[in-house]
Amino acid sequence: MTKLLMMVCSHFLVAVVWAAPTVPASPNAQSILSASDAIRNPDQPFGLTSTLIEYRNGKQVDTSTLAIYARADKQSGQFRNLIRFVAPQRDAGKLMLKNGTDLWFFDPASKASIRISPQQRLLGQAANGDVMTVNLAVDYSAQLAGEEEIQDGEKKTRTAYLLKLTAKNPEVTYHRIDYWVDRSTSRPIKAKFYSASDRLLKTAYYRKFDQQLGQERPTETVIIDGLDPQWVTVLRSSDFAFRDVPESWLQRDFLPRFKAE
Amino acid sequence: MMRANCLVLLIAWAIYQPVFADDLDALNLADSAALSAVKPRDWNLFIEGMYGSVNLNNDQGDIPIDRLSLDLQVDTALTPELRFYVANRFDVSGQDHQHETVNTLKEAYLSWQMASNTALDLGRINQRNGVAMGYNPSDFFKVDALRSVVSIAPSSLRENRLGAGMIRGQYLWNSGAITALFAPKLADQRDSATFALDFGASNPRHRWQVSATQKISDGVAPQLIVFGEQGQSPQVGLNLSLLASDALSVYAEYSGGQSASLLNQSKQVDSPTRFYSRLATGATYTFPANVSVNLEYQYNGAALSKADWQALGQQPAAYWAYRSHVFSAQDMPTQYAAFAFVTWNDALVADLDLNWMFRHDLVDHSQQSWLEARYHFPRVDLALQWQYQQGSAGSVYGALPQRQSIQALLKYFF
Repeated sequence: MTKLLMMVCSHFLVAVVWAAPTVPASPNAQSILSASDAIRNPDQPFGLTSTLIEYRNGKQVDTSTLAIYARADKQSGQFRNLIRFVAPQRDAGKLMLKNGTDLWFFDPASKASIRISPQQRLLGQAANGDVMTVNLAVDYSAQLAGEEEIQDGEKKTRTAYLLKLTAKNPEVTYHRIDYWVDRSTSRPIKAKFYSASDRLLKTAYYRKFDQQLGQERPTETVIIDGLDPQWVTVLRSSDFAFRDVPESWLQRDFLPRFKAE
Repeated sequence: MMRANCLVLLIAWAIYQPVFADDLDALNLADSAALSAVKPRDWNLFIEGMYGSVNLNNDQGDIPIDRLSLDLQVDTALTPELRFYVANRFDVSGQDHQHETVNTLKEAYLSWQMASNTALDLGRINQRNGVAMGYNPSDFFKVDALRSVVSIAPSSLRENRLGAGMIRGQYLWNSGAITALFAPKLADQRDSATFALDFGASNPRHRWQVSATQKISDGVAPQLIVFGEQGQSPQVGLNLSLLASDALSVYAEYSGGQSASLLNQSKQVDSPTRFYSRLATGATYTFPANVSVNLEYQYNGAALSKADWQALGQQPAAYWAYRSHVFSAQDMPTQYAAFAFVTWNDALVADLDLNWMFRHDLVDHSQQSWLEARYHFPRVDLALQWQYQQGSAGSVYGALPQRQSIQALLKYFF
């Protein structure tokens, strides 16, 4: 008990002090969300490498690497993604395509293209949507709940807008999201993802901001499971590059031909 | 005093929502994560060993089975526009200490990406159609494509088969694609020699196919296929799949055309033709905890009805000729069947997958069950497979010589 109290005390000392919500003059919640999206995602087709490192009870249990191409839809503004599994070796060469609600999985060994649903997870803890490039402002309505002093992923104190995001359509992976955006830089700091039954599914910290494709962007997301906080996935992004991703590639029939550079 | 101070701080902590210990632990853990981005590789190679036992019907006891397989895939760019693919498998399979070696050159072809939306392929290609899981009526190139059967799992049957020598072109537009191919006759007879290219199996007559996909609304992009082969009427194929909810996908795969019945085909005699339809339709639902359940209904109009199936059972020679023909064509022997496939990823412990396949013949009510437990180590898969057949003598699954089998597999990925 004493140990628990000491732990609580020590964490209290490093914790930031919560500030009472104060709604500023008239910051537009949707604009804040869009500005944050623009920091996470370039405005033209691009590619990157994502490495997922999965921990259980502090021990590394899985690693996977994905090559991802992304291109935004001109009309909806939402990204479509072509993903190639690079590692582990048993999955190397397998592909995934997300185009709106279309989600396809392709195995080059059996040449099978299988439609999968958003609930079908292929990557352990991370939902398929977590590795996809997503513009949240397209799929969610944002409301400004206030401003808070919170700790970011680097354990530094930031003044942040707290946005309450509600899904515009039921197809998205998460029903609602609490989303903290840095008030001065529009950087995403933290997100809490909830199910339709309002269960906390995951907490994510966006961190390790680095100059990539003309802007400081987060290169790491730390994902903590909502039920089991000892289940942690570190999602690292590297090899950012603008890529030519023709519109015609974003369909099932192209999958057998896709090979990320 | 100390306790009182801490109590105050505890209350304050509860009110002020600090960063939780778990979050800090997670961030500290992430700080220590080693950067290990892996670069894409042009080749995949695995070796697989199997040892098991087959229990035979009619009290014939158990016999040992074993297998060693080597599987290589290469996909490499010769120039920015020209790629070379090869997929080859080598199996040494043993049953009751009798071994045979089979090499299967599954694919070997050049692919020329003439423009971002136009490509031309030439060589041996595994051309696979179909969105269904257990039975693919529109997968016209599955006929006679099996050279070495190592598992009854549908994914294995699709993967371990001969591609056909062909020239294939594809043109893509923003909302669809058209693919046309021609696979000429290259040989007359099958060749069972270990390293035979076996074009007699993959290219026994001229065949062609045109397929087109067009998106007609969000999430709806049906595929229409027209397939033809020398001396036969063209066949039509149709594939459609939809997302019904964020956890449910549904699909239908159809083929139809004028042909002889499967029974008359097996007798290899000229016989009248009529229009036959084939269908596989099903749904996959994903439950929380990574459990996916697929159910599929299968229909083959060219196969035998209940009365004809029972009648054929009285003629052993014709019966086994028919079964052999149906097996080579990867088709259904009777008209109606049901299929289920359940996958549980990370079952009970991380990296353990449980797979269960169940086939039920709706005409003679025989059934086949296949259960697999597969554990993934970083470079090694360890699997246990159990297969069980049940049914009356002469039924689809009851007539098979094996009643059940169990096997352990070890697969190493280089």
